[in-house]
This record gives sequence, C-alpha cells and structure tokens, in this order.
Amino acid sequence: MEIRPILSALMRSKVSMILIGLQVALTLAIVCNALFIIGQRLERMDRPSGINESDTFWFGSNGFAPGYEATSVQKADLALLRGMPGVVDAAPTNSLPLSNGGWGEGIGLQPNQKTSTAQTTIYLVDDHGVATLGTQLVAGRNFKPEEVQDITFGDNLRPRVVIVSKALAERLFPGEDAVGRTIYVNEDNATTIIGVVERLQQPWVDSDSIEFATLVPAFMPYGNATRYAVRTEPGRRDEVMKAVEQKLGETNTGRIIGRMRSMEQIRADAYSGDRAMAIILGTVIFALLAITALGIVGMASFWVAQRTRQIGTRRALGATKGDILRYFQTENFIITTLGLVAGAVLAYAFSLWLMQQYQAPRLPWYYVPIGFVCLWLLGQLAVLGPALRASRVPPAVATRSV
Amino acid sequence: MLKMTHLQKVYRTHLIETHALRDFSIHVRDGEFVAVTGPSGSGKTTFLNIAGLLEEFTGGEYWLDGVDVRGLDDNARSKLRNEKIGFIFQSFNLIPDLNLFDNVDVPLRYRGFNAAERKRRIDEALTRVGLASRMKHYPSELSGGQQQRVAIARALAGSPRLLMADEPTGNLDSLMARGVMELLEEVNRQGTTIVMVTHDPELAARAQRNVHVIDGQVTDFDEAPKLRDPDAASRGAEAVAANG
Repeated sequence: MEIRPILSALMRSKVSMILIGLQVALTLAIVCNALFIIGQRLERMDRPSGINESDTFWFGSNGFAPGYEATSVQKADLALLRGMPGVVDAAPTNSLPLSNGGWGEGIGLQPNQKTSTAQTTIYLVDDHGVATLGTQLVAGRNFKPEEVQDITFGDNLRPRVVIVSKALAERLFPGEDAVGRTIYVNEDNATTIIGVVERLQQPWVDSDSIEFATLVPAFMPYGNATRYAVRTEPGRRDEVMKAVEQKLGETNTGRIIGRMRSMEQIRADAYSGDRAMAIILGTVIFALLAITALGIVGMASFWVAQRTRQIGTRRALGATKGDILRYFQTENFIITTLGLVAGAVLAYAFSLWLMQQYQAPRLPWYYVPIGFVCLWLLGQLAVLGPALRASRVPPAVATRSV
Repeated sequence: MLKMTHLQKVYRTHLIETHALRDFSIHVRDGEFVAVTGPSGSGKTTFLNIAGLLEEFTGGEYWLDGVDVRGLDDNARSKLRNEKIGFIFQSFNLIPDLNLFDNVDVPLRYRGFNAAERKRRIDEALTRVGLASRMKHYPSELSGGQQQRVAIARALAGSPRLLMADEPTGNLDSLMARGVMELLEEVNRQGTTIVMVTHDPELAARAQRNVHVIDGQVTDFDEAPKLRDPDAASRGAEAVAANG
C-alpha cells in the first residue's frame, strides 16, 4: 500500500480532499443519528398493544331517536353481535389501546393518597372483555357477569373488583402476587385485584406509563353513545365488519352505526407521526448517501480524466492494471477515513446536542463503527467505476504528445 | 538486447487499415546507443511504443533481452517493462504532486523493493544526475533540464538493461539539451543500452548508430556500430547549441 506518497500528493490538492472529506463527515454524523432515531421509532411502533389486533375491530352506536334507551340497546346489541357468524366474542368498551382517547385515573395503595402510586387507564368492559380483546390472563380470574355494574356517565367510578396489566401489578406490588390485594381507585374506593393480564397498553402511545392499564367491569353509555369491540374468526374481520354495520343498522333505525375501524387502522393512525418521521429520515439518509456517492464518483472521474497522462506514465513505469485500480481505491480509502474520523466526532457531538435539546437517548457507540464500515464500502463502490476506467488507460498514453 | 524481425503493426477501424509498421526489422546489441530517426508520422513513436512494451504488435517477432514478448499478458508485460526498461519522455512525465524522491520511487515501488533498498537506489540515482540535494523539491520548482535529469534518475533507479528515450531534448533549450545528452552518453558508457527516438539529425549524429524510418519501414541503417568519438560528440553538441 503506497499510503504515504498518495497522502502527500493529496495534501497538494487539499480543497478537493477537504470537500469530499467534509461530505463524508456530515453524512456519517447525520446518518448515524438519523438511523438511531428511525430505529427508536420502529421499536416504538413495534410494541405489542397486548390485544389481538388482526381480527379485532371497534365501532360506535349513537342513538338519536326520541325515547332511545342506550343501556337496553347495548345489551341487545351485544347479544346480537355474539350470535353473528364469524364473531368469536364482543364486548362494550369505552376505549382501546392505540385509540388515543380514554380515561386516565390515579391508583393508590392507601385511601385518599396524596400522590398516586401509578397512573392507569380505565377500560370499562363486561365479563367478555378479556376474551374479546384476546389479552392473556396470567393470574387470578375473569369478571363474573354479576360483577358488571351499570353506571351512568358522570357517576364517580367505584369498582369493587378490577383486572390489571402485569406491568401495573408489578409497579403496585413489586415482586409480590397482586391478586387479592386491595388498591384505591378514585381516592377512597377500595378495590380488589382479581386478575392480572400479561400485557395491556394505554390508549396513548406517547404515555410514560403506557403499560399501566386497568379493566373495570361496568356498562357505561356516554349519553346515547356506546362503543363495542368485536373479535372475529381469523381472516373474517372485513366480512364481519360489513355484516355488523348492516345488521345493527337494520335492527334499530333510531341510531347511527359509525366510526367502524379495524385495530390495524387504529394502529396505523396511532403511529402515523412515527412512520412519517421514519420515512422522512430514511429519505434524508438515502439522499445523503446518494449525494456522497455521486460526489465521490464525480471527483474520482475528474481526477482520472485530469491524470490520464500520469496514469499512462505509471503504467509505462511498470504499474499493472491492478496497481492503478488499487491506487484510486487507496486514495478513496484515505479521504474517506479522514472524513470518517471527523464524522465520528461530529456524530457524537450531534447526539449530545439532541440529548440536551430534546432529551433524546445517547447514540449507542456501535452506530459509528458500523457507519465507518458502510461508508468505506460506499466509497469503494463509488470509486470502482472511475478506478476501473483508470486501469484501462493504455501505457502508450505516456508517449502521446500533449 | 532488442531484436525485431518482420514486425507488423496494423491499426484497424471498420473502414480502414493503417500500416504503422511493415516488415520492420532491427537488432540492437547490448551496450549500443542507437538513434531512430524519421519524419513525423513515419512510425518512430509506434516503434518506441512496441519496443517499450507499451503497445502490442500484430505480426512478426520481437525478442527483448532474450524474452519472446509475443503472447505475454498485460501483467507480464508490465513486469518485464518495469525490470528491463527505463523510459525518458519528451515532456518528462514527472508526477507534479510528488517530490523528486517520490517521483523516482514510483517504478521501484512497482518492482516490490523494500524501503531501505528503494531509498539507497533513489539516493544513488539522484546523486548520479546531480540533484540529490533537491530530493524534497517538487518538479514545478525545477528547470526543464533539471526535470529531465530527474526523469533520467527515475529511469536509471531500477538498473534497467535498456533505456528508451523519446525526443529526450525536444522540450529543452540547447544548453539544457546538451547537458541531458552528455548525461545519456555517460549512462551509455557505463553499459546501459540506449534507443533514442528523435527527428533531430544533429542529435542523432551523437548516437553510435542511426536507424532511419520512413512510412513504417527501416530504410537506412548503419550495420556496424561506430566507435565513439568524443570530439565528434562535442562538435555535434556545439552544432545543436548553435542551432538552438
């Protein structure tokens, strides 16, 4: 490897070297941090909600006719839904994971506790809630039909029993069995935990306590509005959605069936911002890499054209085609490496700035070495075309008159 | 040292065939200083390119220092070129971004010598051309004559058996040309075979033997080498200086 003479020759034309080096440095700094952010977003988007998403949908019923009685309609609807072909189970619910709207409540371990031990969401369901959502009961038992209360919107929530997510149980009673323990929901209302489900997320994807959820057995229409979650047999969701909309519309013409959305749609909406961010950053990464590669191709092509006679002279003096190829590859390796060293410093500085300004996590150390390898490869690939062209310069060029 | 027999070089396009060399035969013996002369377009440069293994030929035979070069692949030709031949070009062809040391180092690196051996040879070659004290200088800091001296040092550093010179004084004024020619004559006296292509009869007169090429063929040559006459050489140089 003739690194020293190549480096000293490069030092004689610093501007080109500095420009390409800077481009490589900026690319490394931005690509590493952007990839890390994309990775975080994808990780966030990949978090399981704890419920069956592929076969579940959610919709609302809004009564408008005079004398519409939501509680009785709700019970009739549920009986109808559970009997429909393709339906595995159905349950009333005020909210669902990823839906971005719901009921938040503080939970204490003592009555009238000043500061809550944990912030939870409340899902109001009946005894079919656990089966409909498809969440796994890992301790205790499900609700019994007689435990489901009829409450009215505006009433204080005073459940006697609840089922909590495992993460919430662990927060409330670390390392202990939460089943049978008493907690306080709504200041002084003592409630017994009768079951624990493996995982159940809150409706808000940005929540700090997204894994803390509580199932409360209650029917509670919001005025004349009710909502239902329905789980279908695998592969029959779309067909059942259409049938449900038609059937429920026909059975009671005094209401409107609406906001029918599959859990897949709800998930897509919940993470649309993250997806957009990932796509934008991905595009930026692609564009930066393309610009850097094109910059290297352009500069190397220019150098090959500029040094045709010099290449011919080297060939005349005994360089093989491989020697010429290696010369340009080595030259690119040197410029890229200098750029990468500067880029590594920039990458960590950029990460530090993101940490200070946006409370972003620290860039893991391994992103930069992986970036080194990728940009080395990119540089070598980009220079390959011009270098091969250079290696094909015939030695007789050396004797051609200028 | 160099023997071409019935050599042909034909350039072909889809419309036309151009015979750059036809039935070209020449024999240069060890230690000779031969000038190949002829007008522009006569085939001198084609001969130089083929003799220097810079270009392939289309027919005939070429033996270089006992090696039949027909059928050698590109790598083998490069290796042979590097080991056997030193080149001196009309435009010097030094690499402008390398200092003198690194310029002379170029063929030695391709030869695969270790760093100590390369340094020894570079020191020796630059001393021989009188530029050892300027090895950290760049070509642009030297005069044309000095640059050609560096090119000669680069050609000699690998101890080649044959020196191919392409109009070595073509870009120099008469004083510098004289200096370069004297250096080449000295190199030849020390045993290196030199083949010099030139269109300048005054310069050719300083060689031991002249080969005249017209229309791709050898038309006239001295069969036996002349004995070197230092006075004649000096008279020739004076003539060059006077004409320059």
